[in-house]
Amino acid sequence: MAKLARLSPEHRDNLAAYLDGELEEAAVQEIEQILAVSPVARHEVDMLSRTWDMLSALPVQKASDDFTQKTVSSMQATERTSPPVASQAVKQNVRRGGVLALWAGVLAVCAYLGFSATHQWVPNESDQLLDDYEIISNLDKLQEVGTIEFLQVLKAKNTLAEHDEHSAK
Amino acid sequence: MNQNGTDENPVLRDPDVRLMLRAKGGDETAFTKLVANYQDRLVGVLAHLLENKDVAEDLAQEVFLRIYRARHGYEPTAKFSTWLFRIANNLANNQRRNTGRKKEVALNVNDSGPLGPRPGERLIAEKSGLMPNRQYDKSEMCTMVQAALATLNEKQRMAVLLHKFEEMSYVDIAAALETTPTAVKSLLSRARDNLREILEPYVKQGTLGTTETEEE
Repeated sequence: MAKLARLSPEHRDNLAAYLDGELEEAAVQEIEQILAVSPVARHEVDMLSRTWDMLSALPVQKASDDFTQKTVSSMQATERTSPPVASQAVKQNVRRGGVLALWAGVLAVCAYLGFSATHQWVPNESDQLLDDYEIISNLDKLQEVGTIEFLQVLKAKNTLAEHDEHSAK
Repeated sequence: MNQNGTDENPVLRDPDVRLMLRAKGGDETAFTKLVANYQDRLVGVLAHLLENKDVAEDLAQEVFLRIYRARHGYEPTAKFSTWLFRIANNLANNQRRNTGRKKEVALNVNDSGPLGPRPGERLIAEKSGLMPNRQYDKSEMCTMVQAALATLNEKQRMAVLLHKFEEMSYVDIAAALETTPTAVKSLLSRARDNLREILEPYVKQGTLGTTETEEE
């Protein structure tokens, strides 16, 4: 029954490669052993080979008689109309330089915008200290005050302003 | 090392590579010789690939023009034929994509067109038993094979043409199709299976059925 079993996909791939002479020696021997015992494999090889041979029935298509002449003429025409290679190279270098300069400009603008945004929106520790400078410098006095209510009473009586004026004098 | 330095680079043993190097050096006759050497082979493969000889000639001319324009930067890293067919394959793919887009707009899928059924449709009709069993003449056989070839996908068809008509190895086909030899092995196996599936009935009943098969 094994002789009539279907071929595995790997064996099928190898059958085609066997016919094309593209198998390594070990694989060739394996295929030949299979062919020796399997009528199914022999039939496969026979059909693959005969249907492949049918491709020889395709008509032989040749280039027209003036193909070479036409091709060479168009090559020469292209050569005449296109600028010399040296000038093409210069043009290409200029184009590359332009693209690089453009990218450098875009990067510089992005860097500037990034710096500005960061500077404006991200909180800075030094700025916070400057804002709180008055409180920090009067921290000892403010701690003596004790409660907010007492501070509000002092403010209501204008005691703090008078104290500041005396201190200034 | 020999005088040509070919021991260093085996690719330089390819006479077409040497012609291309001469063309790179400004020898116009070397390039003309390359065109003459390859024009029939290239047009032949492209005509079967695109099923249109006029388009094949135009495309073959474009292939040579591209090679000519690229001659100043040419470096011999592979066989010349491999490079040529790689360019041809890429151009043919572009051509088919463009044609495909136009067809999508122009054709109804159920419409066979003013020239009657297409080869593939005819083949299906014949396979389904609408045609009586009989011997096939050469032109009928040719039509059947063309129709069978047309059922293969683009890569399979190119691999088949390069292997059958250019006798290229799996390694060279892989270089031309920008894939691996293992993928080419699989491509050709599928292609041969597809061709066998379509053409086997004709082998059995047609003029080529001269060998007794195991089943018979």
